[in-house]
Amino acid sequence: MVTQVFRVSVASTVATALAWSLASVPVTGQEGGGGGGAGFRAAPVAGCPQISREFWPCAKAKAAAFNPPRNPDGTPNMNGAWNPITANGSQNIEDFAGDAFLGRQISIIVDPADGKVPYLPQWANKRQDNWDHYIDPIGSCFFTGVPRQIYGPRGQAFIQAPGIFAIVSEFAHQYRTIPIGNTPHIGDTLRLYMGDSRGRWEGNTLVVDTTNLTDRTWLSISGHFHSEALHVTERFTLVDADTILYETTLVDPKVFRQPWTMAMPLVRFEKGHEVWEEPCFESDHDLPFLLMEHKLWLGLNPPR
Amino acid sequence: MIGRAGKAGGAGKAGRAGIAVFVLVMAALAPASAQTTPTGATLPRASDGKPDLTGVWQAFTTANYDLQDHAARLGVPAGQGVVEGNEIPYKPGALAKKQENARTRETNDPESKCFLLGVPRTMYAPFPFQIVYSPAYMAIFSEYAHTTRSVFMNSEHPEGPIEWFMGDSRGRWDGDTLVVDVRHFTDLTWFDRAGNYHSADLHVVERYSLVTPDHIQYEATIEDPAVYTRPWKISFVLYRRKEPNVRVLEYECYAYSEEEQVRRGELGPK
Repeated sequence: MVTQVFRVSVASTVATALAWSLASVPVTGQEGGGGGGAGFRAAPVAGCPQISREFWPCAKAKAAAFNPPRNPDGTPNMNGAWNPITANGSQNIEDFAGDAFLGRQISIIVDPADGKVPYLPQWANKRQDNWDHYIDPIGSCFFTGVPRQIYGPRGQAFIQAPGIFAIVSEFAHQYRTIPIGNTPHIGDTLRLYMGDSRGRWEGNTLVVDTTNLTDRTWLSISGHFHSEALHVTERFTLVDADTILYETTLVDPKVFRQPWTMAMPLVRFEKGHEVWEEPCFESDHDLPFLLMEHKLWLGLNPPR
Repeated sequence: MIGRAGKAGGAGKAGRAGIAVFVLVMAALAPASAQTTPTGATLPRASDGKPDLTGVWQAFTTANYDLQDHAARLGVPAGQGVVEGNEIPYKPGALAKKQENARTRETNDPESKCFLLGVPRTMYAPFPFQIVYSPAYMAIFSEYAHTTRSVFMNSEHPEGPIEWFMGDSRGRWDGDTLVVDVRHFTDLTWFDRAGNYHSADLHVVERYSLVTPDHIQYEATIEDPAVYTRPWKISFVLYRRKEPNVRVLEYECYAYSEEEQVRRGELGPK
C-alpha cells in the first residue's frame, strides 16, 4: 500500500509538473489527466498531427522545404527553450491505455511500425520486472541519460556557440555539452550517465552521436531499459521557427534485436521562458519510502 | 585531379598566412585596451563582439579547503588565501558558528552531503567547468554533480523570496568585463571545508575579465548583512584547460554515495 501511495505521488508529481509546463505552451494539444490520448487529434503542430507516426513523415517533408533562421555562424538557430509536448514526461514510450499510476500514451516509436521496443527474446519480461521491483532512476534523482534527456520531465534550453551545442535540463540541473565537428569520442572505458556526445551538421539537421553510456539509466518511468552498449544517434531539424522534429535511433545489440527509432515534436516555450534550477537529490525526502519495497536500479549487472 | 587538389591546398595555405599577417598587423595597430591583451594576444570574441568566455576552465587554488591563508596538515595542502586582506568580517557572534561548522564539517559540510556547492564555491571547487556563452544566455557547467549555472543576460532577477542552491544569476557587460549579479540563495551552502558560511540573504557580484585568451581574472564581492559587518572580496585566476581532447566528465557525487550504501546493505528493501 505504501508503494502504491508513493508511486501515485511520483506519477502525480510528474503529471503536475507536466500540466504546469503545458500551461505555458503556445500550442495546446493535450487534454485531461496528463494522458496522451484523444487530445492529440485536436491541435496540429507546425501543420502536422502530433501523433508520432503521423508527425514524423509530415514534419520531415515540411522541414525539407523550410529555410530556418540562422546564427551569425550560419548554423540553424535553435537557441531557446523547448518542450517535448507529446512525451508526457517519459511515463511511457509505447502505446499504453493508462492506469492508476501512469497516464495514457500513444507510442512515440516510429520504427519498427508496431510501435514497440524490439527487445531480444531473453529480455521479453524484463521491463515488467523493472517496474515491479525497481525505482525509476530519475525517481532517485539519478540522471536521465540519453536520449531520455530530450523527452523526460520538463523542458530543455538549447544554447549554441561556435563549435558547441549545449542542452540544459530543468530536471536535476543536468546538462549535456556537445562539441560540433569531427572530434573523437573519449576512451571506451570511461562511462558517463549522460554519455559522450559529438555533433555535426548535415544540411540543416544537427546530428548527435552518443557513446560511453552506462546501463544505470532507463528510457521511461515504466521501466524500458538498455545496456551500456547503447549507441544513440539523434537528429534535430527545425520544421518551422517554433518546432523541432526530434528523431533518435537506438542501437544496443545486447538488448535490442534491431535498431529502433523514436520521433516527436519539440515545441518552443513562450518567449522569455527561463529554465530554472530544480534541486532533486538536495530536496528529495521520498527515497527512504520508495526503498521500502523497491530497489535502486544499478544496471543489468549491479555491483555486489 | 591531383594537380587541382595540390593547387587548392597551396591557395589555402597562402590564405591562412595572409590572415595571420593581417591579424598581427591589426594587433600592432589597435589600441591595447580595446583589441589586445597586455601580452599582445588577440582575445577571442563572440558574435556580439564581447570577449568569448566559451571553453573549459579551472581554478588552481586551495580555496575549497579554506578561503583564507592556511598551513598544511594531514590531507590539507597549505594555501595562500583568496580573500582580499585575508579577513572575513564576521559580525560578533557569527564567527562561533563558523568554528562550529569547522568542527562538524565531516557530516555537515554540504560538499560531504553531495549537495550543490553554491556560488562562488563552484568556481574554485577542484573540478573543471565549461562555459558556453551566447549573447542572451551564458551557462556554466561544472563536473561536480552535473551542476548548471544559468546566467541570463541583460535581464532582471525574478521577484523573491526564492531559495536556490546556485542563486539567480543575471549578467551584463561593463566594457570587456562580464558582471554577474547573483541573489536568491539558500542558507544550505558553505564557502569551504573550513566552515565559512552565509545566510539566505547572500548577494554575490562576480566580475569575469578575460586578460589573455587563456586566463580569466575572477573576482567576487560577497555581501550578507546578516553575517558580515561589510562586503568583502575574493579574487583568483581561472585557467583554460588546453589539452586537445579535454572535456568535462562527471562526478555524480550522490549517485556514487547511494550505490555505496546499497553495496553495504544500508539502502534497499529488507
